[in-house]
Amino acid sequence: MLTRVLCSLWAIGALGIGCPAPAAAETVPPAAITSALSVESDARAFPQEPAARTVMLPDDWWRSRPEAAGPVWYRLVFAVPATPPGGEMAIWFERACGDVEIQLNGTPLAGGGASRSSLASLCQGGHLVSLPAPLLQPGSNRLDLKLSGRPLERVASRERAAGLSAATIGPAADLSQRHTQHERLRAGLAQSLSVALAIVGMFLAAQFRRNRRDSAPGYAGLALVALAAAMLPQWLPARLGDGLLAEIVFASLWSVATLGVVQFLLRQAGRRERIVDIVLPLQCVLMPLSLAALAPDHLFGTTQAWIALFVIEIAAAAALLLSTLWSANRRAFWFMSCLLAAVVAGELLAYAGVHASVVWVATSGHLVLPALSLLAGLRLVQQGGRALESAEAGRALLEQRVAEVKAEIEANYRQLAELRVVQVTDRERKRIAADLHDDLGAKLLTIVHTSESERISTLAREALEEMRLSVRGLTGKPVRLEDALGDWRAEVISRLGQAGIEAVWNMPTDELEQTLPARAFVQTTRIIREAVNNIIKHSGASQCAVRSQVADGDFQLVIQDNGKGISVEVDGRLDRGHGLSTMKGRAKQLHGQCLVESGPGYGTVIRLTIPLEPAGLAA
Amino acid sequence: MKNILLLEDLPQIRAWMRDLVLRVFPTAQISEAARVHDALQLVQAVKFELALIDLGLPDGSGVDVVAKLRDVQPEAQSVVVTIHDDDEHLFPALQAGAYGYILKEQARELIAEQLQRISSGEPPLSPSIARRVLAHFTAKAKPQPQSILPHVSLTERESEVLLRVAKGFTLPEIGVQLGLSRHTIADYVKQIYRKLNVSSRAEAALEAQRLGLFGR
Repeated sequence: MLTRVLCSLWAIGALGIGCPAPAAAETVPPAAITSALSVESDARAFPQEPAARTVMLPDDWWRSRPEAAGPVWYRLVFAVPATPPGGEMAIWFERACGDVEIQLNGTPLAGGGASRSSLASLCQGGHLVSLPAPLLQPGSNRLDLKLSGRPLERVASRERAAGLSAATIGPAADLSQRHTQHERLRAGLAQSLSVALAIVGMFLAAQFRRNRRDSAPGYAGLALVALAAAMLPQWLPARLGDGLLAEIVFASLWSVATLGVVQFLLRQAGRRERIVDIVLPLQCVLMPLSLAALAPDHLFGTTQAWIALFVIEIAAAAALLLSTLWSANRRAFWFMSCLLAAVVAGELLAYAGVHASVVWVATSGHLVLPALSLLAGLRLVQQGGRALESAEAGRALLEQRVAEVKAEIEANYRQLAELRVVQVTDRERKRIAADLHDDLGAKLLTIVHTSESERISTLAREALEEMRLSVRGLTGKPVRLEDALGDWRAEVISRLGQAGIEAVWNMPTDELEQTLPARAFVQTTRIIREAVNNIIKHSGASQCAVRSQVADGDFQLVIQDNGKGISVEVDGRLDRGHGLSTMKGRAKQLHGQCLVESGPGYGTVIRLTIPLEPAGLAA
Repeated sequence: MKNILLLEDLPQIRAWMRDLVLRVFPTAQISEAARVHDALQLVQAVKFELALIDLGLPDGSGVDVVAKLRDVQPEAQSVVVTIHDDDEHLFPALQAGAYGYILKEQARELIAEQLQRISSGEPPLSPSIARRVLAHFTAKAKPQPQSILPHVSLTERESEVLLRVAKGFTLPEIGVQLGLSRHTIADYVKQIYRKLNVSSRAEAALEAQRLGLFGR
């Protein structure tokens, strides 16, 4: 496909360079024949009657004899050298629309390189007729040409109305080259465009099948395919473009193309009109019917009327789309405007070409519309591809987002479940705590204040304190180490003070950011309380020093007294009264340690080390 | 002669408390109540100098009695006598206007001494309560533009005392550190309790206003 287009482009170039190429010195340069004698007659040969008049070539019948259906005899008079140095001579018509018979100096030229039928079908095609040397006469020669074509009113398109272009006479080799290039450019380009349009159109239609929500490409595809079909007569060598039925069919393709274009434009503008949905298909039915009804004599006029209507419809739809694009998508607006402007320019060019009877201008003008349609179609395909790409990307993104959101929801759910567990646990702990206070607390309190025995009172008081600590361990929040130190200091100092023991407390002056879990706080409080109990009850000390510090991720507390100390035996076996093993056990629970150094005479030193890592403390 | 309210639901403890109070204030007239409802009625009827109020009672919280007493008889001293030593239970009572607290299980002598001190204007202040008070006033320090109520804030000295109590220093220790007499320190603590009550009431009023419960 692409190579065909490239070939055609090359042909344009070749034509441009090849045409003015200087002929060899000994050849006769091709000469144009721009006038002919002409007479309307169905005679077997050019009629020898005075009715013949001189006409200028090209002679388009719709201009010179609008009503005539022919046949018309043309006589072209030319002179050739007796022995043409360039070899065989030929005559070339850029365009001869209709059935043609040719006689050279009264002798019919059989075929002459083109059969009758192909001459007829390819209205826009050129015709090369070789002039056999034996038939040529020195001096003046007569080429008689009988053309029977159809008047304008009997065809749907002006291009297929009968007419004869100017002729060029010259060496067969030169003209053959020119003819080949001309045909390649005209038919080749038309064929390439037609096939390309058909393929792109079907591709777009296939896209529509895949994605029915966006019908715009589907309509564009329909328009392109209709356009491709409408171009068939321009290049198909068969007799497709002949006959009334073919005229009607090909003309009616414009209604289909219009349906596609208008709907496409409206869809692009984001509009969908019910009335349009009905009217446009109706047109596709009405147009062939009206053509059939008014054929054959008013074919052209009817077609033109329809086409005028189509132009108005398309212009309206285009205006709607442009006004929408102006505010929505400035880039698309300019693209669409340029495209439409180019189409209009192309059609104007074609119109001018037809009216000035400049065949190549008319032909290339007519190719502008298909070419630009192809461009628009390709752009649509590209957009479709991009849309597909972005849709894929969007889908991937969506999937990713869905996965993310799902994970988030799951995480939230887990968190919520955990939170709920925490809440329920917390509530339950509070309930247990309240029960403990109300029941056990009240009973212990009663024992404290009603027992006759001081020992039992003390035990009950201690039990109450223990219970309170336990509850705190159950319900408490983590305690800042700084706050914990404040609580311990206040308790130790006041208790020792009440016992008449002089106390010195050293603690870090800088801010401590570490926190202790409630349990660690409670256990440490118990250890300290026990140590102070020992000092008050057993040591007989008069002074006590407490030092605390944070080092290597540990909290260290040293309690030293100047009492009589704890004997090793007591430490080893009989320490029940001192609770030393309980203290050690508690420290161990917190993954720390509690060392007791003691000896008669130098008091007791208790070294407590608690790791501050949450994992260790949480035990 | 003193009129004293004793609110305690456990009969044995109530009896024990009555003995103790009579030991400290031999001429006191003691009105006993076992329920919040009864106590509230007594508060309406009798003028008290001192009220010993338990927190956890069968028909409610002693905090309501503290608040009522603060409203009806601002001169009366409310002292919370409780088994709860944690600030979560004590702080609301102090906010409601309690003037101190005593832990029930302490030895008789200790309670008697504390009672004596409180009634003579030396309320206790634990580190955890001090921290709560500090936190309360720090949160209050944030600007409240709509507040039409008097803004209550601590003086530098009061904050200093609270900070030191929070660090575990005893009130006598702080007195030595700041070169202040025992009475001056006690006055600071009383002032702190008073401000806590005023500020809490203002806060409650503001909250009520925000909820639209407060009239025009």
